Amino acid sequence: MFHISVSLFSQTKALESKIDLFHDKLLDIAMTFKKAIQVFLSEGRSENYKKTSKHIKQIEHDADCLRRDIESKLYTQNLIPDLRADVLQLVENLDRVINRFDEVTYKFFIERPEIPSEYHSRIIELCDLTATCAENMGKASRAFFRDLSSVRDYSQKVYFIEHESDLSSGHLRNAIFDSDLPLANKIQISDFINEIADIADLAEDFIDELLIFTIKRDI
Amino acid sequence: MDLSFFIYLSSGLFLGWSLGANDAANIFGTAVGTKMLRFKTAAFIASLFVILGAVYTGTGASRTLGELGNVNTLAGAFMTALAAAISIYWMVKAGILVSTSQAIVGAIIGWNFYSGKETDYSILSQIVSTWVVCPILSGCIAVILYIAIKTFLRHSHVHLLRQDCYTRLGLILAAAFGAYALGANNIANVMGVFVDSSPLKGFSLPGGLTLNDTQVLFLIGALSICIGIFTYSHKVINTVGNNLMKMSPMIAWIVVVSQGIVLFMFASSALKNFLDSYSLPSLPLVPVSSSQAVIGAVLGIGLAKGGHTIHWPLIGRIIFGWLTTPIMAALLCYISLFFLQNVFNQVVYQ
Repeated sequence: MFHISVSLFSQTKALESKIDLFHDKLLDIAMTFKKAIQVFLSEGRSENYKKTSKHIKQIEHDADCLRRDIESKLYTQNLIPDLRADVLQLVENLDRVINRFDEVTYKFFIERPEIPSEYHSRIIELCDLTATCAENMGKASRAFFRDLSSVRDYSQKVYFIEHESDLSSGHLRNAIFDSDLPLANKIQISDFINEIADIADLAEDFIDELLIFTIKRDI
Repeated sequence: MDLSFFIYLSSGLFLGWSLGANDAANIFGTAVGTKMLRFKTAAFIASLFVILGAVYTGTGASRTLGELGNVNTLAGAFMTALAAAISIYWMVKAGILVSTSQAIVGAIIGWNFYSGKETDYSILSQIVSTWVVCPILSGCIAVILYIAIKTFLRHSHVHLLRQDCYTRLGLILAAAFGAYALGANNIANVMGVFVDSSPLKGFSLPGGLTLNDTQVLFLIGALSICIGIFTYSHKVINTVGNNLMKMSPMIAWIVVVSQGIVLFMFASSALKNFLDSYSLPSLPLVPVSSSQAVIGAVLGIGLAKGGHTIHWPLIGRIIFGWLTTPIMAALLCYISLFFLQNVFNQVVYQ
């Protein structure tokens, strides 16, 4: 009995670290994404951008490995049977946001959109909002595991920032379609703006589900 | 001692089996249902502690039942236990949760009426008052535990996985304690009526362990409870599930601990003596219903959560069961004793 308890506690501790590490990956990728877009806008597809893009790919790969490990351990060790489905869903949704950061960075790398310099500051601002939104989403998710009362605080921040990013992306697209750029260019830039703003929307969807899970987790 | 003793005892053993099948679900039902514990692990722990509780702490509550009605022949004891068992069976079949304690008390009063023995109304009122006090006390303990744990969890920032680990260990300990208290308190329901007429003799086990006459009887009763746990409680857990209120493992832990504390308070002579020695108010040693304690605890927590999650129509059915079970058992016992005495020529009282 004592041996079983000790082994259960050590397994639990290892999994706790993995879940923390997975959340760290989300925060890492959000900050690196911001940096990558800044680099792209100032240098285009430079070596520096390639390096940052590769770093994002590596974070995404590490997060995938962690996700698989967390999911399989939750099942094989029969942990949190009553909340396991919720936690699996939560991890999957976090991973979806991580993947989206990687996809958008890669899209910039492949398509190399030509964005006039007058829009750079507003695109950087949008990326900033999106990354902050994802960061707060990560913090809310981490709080779900340790500190339920903080989930609501971070969730409110996500809702606020998502709304701000919607407004920002809307104004930006408006400005682009009002400009004299060729239509193909307008559509391409608008598509990029949508892709960036979608990350904040994903974070909002995540928070909607997280708040339900929080009600279920409360005893 | 001849074989007829075991034939007479069969009704008590059947009662024990049904107690094991039904009440064990109260102790580890949610833990098994939510897959926090394996059925076999839970059943083994519960069985072991039911036996310990019945053999070592079971005498106090059974003495009170003896004071209510001293069923002094084996045939009378057989029919008293059988009437209680049949009443429970009918009520369960009608989908009404019932209490073994109420059924056996009703049946004893039926025997008292039939045999012309006077019912000690002070003892009866003491027992009846516990039917009200038991769920209220259990509810209060559950609310205190619920608020304490909720506050602790809010401030301790324990990781979800760590909390799961603690809950699992807590459920194992609660199952052990709940089973011990169930054995200590409810063995009187199963074997109490046979105490005065039992021909069983005590014996010593290797290692200096000695069991007196009553403890041997209680050991047999506890084994029938264990058989009930192993053979049928899993089915009850799957069928009954979380009828009253959907429970998380943590709530299940609170419910089992509250039930265990209440049953223990109504069963432990040592605790009563300790409280009496300091002139503190103590509870009478009476077999109380574990189902009532569970319902009290679940209701308490449900009310503390705002009362939205409680299935109120089911509560109405439970209260109906509480009122009708003792009356039905008393009537059934009275009629059955008449048949046993006049058709089968058995001595049902002396």
